[in-house]
Amino acid sequence: MASKNLLGSQVKRLLTSLSDHGNQHLTEVETDLVQTTYLLSEAIDKLSASFMKVHQGVTAQQEIMNQLQGGAELTPEIESQLQVLQGEIAQNINAAVTGLQFQDMTSQLIGRTVRRIAGLRDVLTAVSSSSAVMAPETQGDEMVAMLHDINKAMEDQSNKLESVLWKAVSQTHMESGDIELF
Amino acid sequence: MAKSILAVDDSGSLRQMVVFSLRAAGYQVTEAVDGQDGLEKAKMQTFDLVLTDQNMPRMDGLTLIRSLRAIPSYQRVPILMLTTESSDDMKAKGRAAGANGWLVKPFDPQRLTEVVKKVIG
Repeated sequence: MASKNLLGSQVKRLLTSLSDHGNQHLTEVETDLVQTTYLLSEAIDKLSASFMKVHQGVTAQQEIMNQLQGGAELTPEIESQLQVLQGEIAQNINAAVTGLQFQDMTSQLIGRTVRRIAGLRDVLTAVSSSSAVMAPETQGDEMVAMLHDINKAMEDQSNKLESVLWKAVSQTHMESGDIELF
Repeated sequence: MAKSILAVDDSGSLRQMVVFSLRAAGYQVTEAVDGQDGLEKAKMQTFDLVLTDQNMPRMDGLTLIRSLRAIPSYQRVPILMLTTESSDDMKAKGRAAGANGWLVKPFDPQRLTEVVKKVIG
């Protein structure tokens, strides 16, 4: 009777752990993918806007150059207009450079996701390897001991995975980050 | 003579952005693909400033800073971290390793140039 109770308890622990660890890792994967989507979406919006503004600025500059080539006088107003346009173009190129850094951040998030999925596969492999040695006729205390070992192997593998996957990217926006001089 | 900067980052696109920004401001920029590469290049020439990422293969940014600080010619060279890491804990580790500043990615080219100018002129 005691053996049956222990067996039930180990089976329950195994199923609960599988569910808990699986959920925990999949939730992290989901969070990283959602964050990646935000960053990509914001980067594309910013890059598109910067590209259009640079295009508008260059077109406006070209129109002025055409007028000057056609014999129009270079007045202080036109000179100032050219300077303003140049400043706007530089500002939009800077914004584009900030937006282009999405690749660095999203590749870190995707790399973390890939490592977590590979780690989760290792967790499941650890369960499978441990259960492979279990004969169909195994029962009683032997079964309890085996289930205990499977539980331990799975929990160790899952905790090991969690400890090596630190979160290096917390950004959810493509705004330039803080600067601190020590 | 243009001031020299060593830019260390394992992301090629990020290095490209750093080079684009700093060369436009008149600096001479040398690229390194990770901490190990950065250390080797730093031993061949003493740069005026080192700008490094934290998470890189082979050697991370903190290890690079500690290794550079162990070299006599790099004891006073400004070293700035440019990383996605933004936790106070990591900043404290960077400071303890010998970093002179912490810049969180993504960076704005104008702000990056202003900081570099402030540090090395």
